[in-house]
Amino acid sequence: MPDTFELGGRPVYTGAHVTRRQDDALLSGQGTYVADLRPSGMAEVAVVRSPVAHGRITAIRTAEAAAVDGVIEVITAADLTDVAPYPNFAAYTQTPGTFPLAQDKVRYAGSPVAVVLAENRYIAEDAAELVEVDYDELPAVTSLEAALEPDSPRLFEDWSNNRLLDLQPDDSEVAAILASNRVLRRRYKMGRHTAMPMETRAALAEVHNGRLHLWCTNQHAHIARTTLSYVLPLAERDIRVVIPYVGGGFGLKQHLYPEDVLVSWLALRHGRPVRFVEDRAEHMIAAAHARDHMIDIEAAIADDGRILAMRVQVVQDLGSAEIFPGAWCPALTTAAHMTGPYDIRDCVVSVAAVTTNKTPGGSYRGFGVPEAVFALERFIDEIADEVGVDRLDLRRSMLLQPADLPYTTASGALLDSGSFAESFERVVELGEHAYRQADAQYRSDPDSRVGVGYAVLFEGVSPTHHGASAHWMGHESCTIEVQPDGGVRVASGVTDQGQGTTTFVATLTADALGVEIETVRVELADSDATPYGLGAFGSRQAVIGGGAILLAAAEVRGKVKKIAAHMLEAPTDDLVIEAGRVHVAGSPAPAVTMAEIATTAVIRTIDLPPGMEPGLEATARYEPELMEHTPDTKGRINANAAYANAAHAAVIRVDLGTGEIEILDYILAHDCGTVINPPIVDGQIWGGIAQGLGGTLYEDLCFNDLGQPQTAFMDYLVPSAIEMPDPVIEHFESPSPNTPLGMKGVGEGGTVGPAAAIGNALAQALAEFSPQIHETPLSPAVVRAMIP
Amino acid sequence: MTAPTARRVEPSVEVPISVTVNGEAVEAVVPARQLLADFLREELRLTGTHVGCEQGICGACTINLDGEPVRSCIMLAAQVDGSVITTVEGLSSEGLSPLQQAFKDNHGLQCGFCTPGFLMTLSTVDPEDYPGEEGIREAISGNLCRCTGYGGILQAVRTVWNRPKDA
Repeated sequence: MPDTFELGGRPVYTGAHVTRRQDDALLSGQGTYVADLRPSGMAEVAVVRSPVAHGRITAIRTAEAAAVDGVIEVITAADLTDVAPYPNFAAYTQTPGTFPLAQDKVRYAGSPVAVVLAENRYIAEDAAELVEVDYDELPAVTSLEAALEPDSPRLFEDWSNNRLLDLQPDDSEVAAILASNRVLRRRYKMGRHTAMPMETRAALAEVHNGRLHLWCTNQHAHIARTTLSYVLPLAERDIRVVIPYVGGGFGLKQHLYPEDVLVSWLALRHGRPVRFVEDRAEHMIAAAHARDHMIDIEAAIADDGRILAMRVQVVQDLGSAEIFPGAWCPALTTAAHMTGPYDIRDCVVSVAAVTTNKTPGGSYRGFGVPEAVFALERFIDEIADEVGVDRLDLRRSMLLQPADLPYTTASGALLDSGSFAESFERVVELGEHAYRQADAQYRSDPDSRVGVGYAVLFEGVSPTHHGASAHWMGHESCTIEVQPDGGVRVASGVTDQGQGTTTFVATLTADALGVEIETVRVELADSDATPYGLGAFGSRQAVIGGGAILLAAAEVRGKVKKIAAHMLEAPTDDLVIEAGRVHVAGSPAPAVTMAEIATTAVIRTIDLPPGMEPGLEATARYEPELMEHTPDTKGRINANAAYANAAHAAVIRVDLGTGEIEILDYILAHDCGTVINPPIVDGQIWGGIAQGLGGTLYEDLCFNDLGQPQTAFMDYLVPSAIEMPDPVIEHFESPSPNTPLGMKGVGEGGTVGPAAAIGNALAQALAEFSPQIHETPLSPAVVRAMIP
Repeated sequence: MTAPTARRVEPSVEVPISVTVNGEAVEAVVPARQLLADFLREELRLTGTHVGCEQGICGACTINLDGEPVRSCIMLAAQVDGSVITTVEGLSSEGLSPLQQAFKDNHGLQCGFCTPGFLMTLSTVDPEDYPGEEGIREAISGNLCRCTGYGGILQAVRTVWNRPKDA
């Protein structure tokens, strides 16, 4: 690591409990979300969505809707003559040719077919009901198993099958090992659920001086801007994307949705602001769904249960796949995590991503890793049962030890650091203790069974974007400017959906420059105000965004010291910067202030050292050297800048009468390397666990055989404070030698383990019934069916 | 080809209301079908009341209506004639209230979208009606948060209600 990744001096704020920046505004109702914007002259849209899952559009009649008082226009795909389909840069996939409005066919119930633009949403919704669409219905493909059938109806008639992606690597080496050993096979499935941020999607487009301004809930200002330039007949310089306060993203808001394009197009056409605010009923069917994976494992097993080699088939149900960026990357990520933090040298994974007549799948916190962890960790428990060894000892016999690091997994992931074995042992210690207490409490209760289950995992963080887009890579950017009064403006491509991004940017900037944090103003998520960056995905922002901050700050710091050295007539190397003052180390006076230095740099430039350029700002970009963007010929790739790790334990009580699982204790040991802000890290872990529990126990997006969505928000059980346990969180810190400050990402680790830990706990609790636990969600009905 | 006749889909009956919002008297004539949340947000521009589901499930739009926590997304503006309403903007006239401060001190929020609903529920209910640790959870069980896992929120309430966790 270059020394530019060091902080300038002693960290004042990094690692401390720095207060979050936006809280005063958010707590008093002053946070401005997209739906809170209401520029003068604003019109609103309602989207007419397909009620059928699969069908040809034979006619659309809009005249009656267009005639409603207050309706400005009703548009269909035929009106969008100057709009291009979303691009597809992935040569290894088939192309869905996604268009903002359905052209000839609809491929999921909820697909946008027409848009009503009206004076307000009430009128727009009235008129939307008057748009008549005739469909020639087609048989619907509603499960990934059905989509894999050779004679399955095809969603895209120019494809030869429903496989958007079908990667079948050479498995001959693994096949040979399988052929000469005992083999165990299992199939695991993870259900369909979604991020369900409390704020739905929203977009507001305006035209200013011939330029499009789009205010939206997207997680990437620049990727959104570039994508709009691909789809709309606009130069990228004529587009500004601004992301104000966002009410949670969790990956769902990574995609540039049709409505973002449609309000932009309508604003350009009518020259007035146009707003879309998704309602929750729309969100259930039109915002990205996630998970919906099937994983088949075949493993060669040693006598003691150790996995000698694995052949894995991952299949992801993409829904209609009409989404940008595409949604197949979770399946690739599942494949990259199939060995877990275990020494399994031979593992080959084939990956298929198939289209079905369901809401497009997309990104969601965890992004393929919960699927891999659920399958592998359940599989290890099942091996232990099958072979008759202790499930913890079996893990111990395969877990990577400190001496094994750095270790490159069979998929190519470079695990340069981590606390796999230590964090696991700590969780086992706490988990066994909690289990004994639970067992003592409920042993005499004939209606209860208790169990403890474990999961140990690594998680790629700070990934390349290339797996999802085959276009963008992995860098982040930062501009730091010291202004004449000594105040600092920092602008970065990272974005904040509530996870505390703004606060960490201020924290690292203040420490890297040696200024007081109150003097730092943070600008994010405005494509006009920030250098090109990739924004929020994959727990990357502290690592990659932090790297860019440190690089820019190092440059500014160097210049600050040179100017100060000139002013103080002292050697540069003797100077330190503390609390916005520069002085000789160990001698607080004389000193020059940041204001004096910046005034010299940009106003009284005559006082600069001879030959020095005016100005006190720097823009830097950080692209991790070890991150790879495309796989090698064997499909191996180190797709992440870092790898966090965690161990989970769940102690549960099962009610034999109802099948309900109660989480008695949840224990998590987490290692995200160097921590910037402990309460923010804890909050990420708590929130991650809550989403992991929800997807494991309660949340389920169901469709019937016609492809009709069956889950309303009322039935989609987001965990409340009643269901949420008080997790015990233990921190380990194994700094990465390859990332700035040793940071790793923390956004997703809590979400990744609950399915596996709870599944394993349930297997133990109900062992007397030999339950088959191969799928989530583990709802009461599913669990009750395991009990005679 | 003749132009289709203009058609008004629903006769929009208007209703006059008098209501006190955050201490100020408001006289308005509202469409009969206008949701209270939309009246507060779009007409009065009190956008701190957030709409998360429009079906009374998530609790983000909770306000204090005559001393009761209610969901403004499933009430009509026309129903509040003669009422007294407090929204999140009216929780504190200066600085943060102790409840708001406790949320800040305990990281009881992340994205902040659900936060006004939690604050309005908690500032309206009587803690005596929700005894013990379980009572805290019950008091906020009608408000959904997707970011925090409730940890910081629970701690904030324990602080303000002077109810240490292990007591």
